[in-house]
Amino acid sequence: MMTFIPPRLRKPAVYALAGVLFAAAWLVRGGPLWWVSIMAVTGTAAGTVRLYRLGGTDTDEGARAGSRADERQQLIGLRSRALACNLAAVASFIGLTAAIAVRGTWGWPFLVTFLITGYGYLLGLGNYGVAEEGTPDDADTGRPARSPVSS
Amino acid sequence: MRNRVREQRRQRGLSQAELAAALGVSRQTVISVESGRYLPSLPLAFTIARFFDLTVDKMFDPDDEEEAGA
Repeated sequence: MMTFIPPRLRKPAVYALAGVLFAAAWLVRGGPLWWVSIMAVTGTAAGTVRLYRLGGTDTDEGARAGSRADERQQLIGLRSRALACNLAAVASFIGLTAAIAVRGTWGWPFLVTFLITGYGYLLGLGNYGVAEEGTPDDADTGRPARSPVSS
Repeated sequence: MRNRVREQRRQRGLSQAELAAALGVSRQTVISVESGRYLPSLPLAFTIARFFDLTVDKMFDPDDEEEAGA
């Protein structure tokens, strides 16, 4: 679906969609805090415009915002996301451990986050590691390599 | 790892932006490759070498100090 959207609009579109969903959640929730949805929509609109303008700049951030990142810029994004996931895993482990220690009932979100990050890591190993390994050659199986001239 | 990207680019009178456009990468990536802060992937290394009509091992040398000047 994303291929139908011009590259420069892709990230702003995702951002706008997420913001609208967040605003809708506040509106559906109702109550005295319904006005938060207005603030969310306003903030989302401003952020979407800012992201679109950033996508037109000649910078690494602009290239990523405009969905035209080259291999180095993609690598920067990949490393940043990996760091964010590492931090999420460590923070959730600390939160879970603290909740256990004080017998808090608020520890389950930390457990869920920790399990998701752990499962995501294993999924990544399965998808990007083992699956790309391929089958070994004879020389790598531990068996002696056969010479074409040996009897 | 040393490389001869800057030297070759200057010999041909190209700006970093022009080289980036020719290689299909960003100007920032050309700057990073020239300064040795970023090691390009094998496909990009071949693209760079072919653009300058050199082989990859002439363009990039892992332990070159003397050979580049020779």
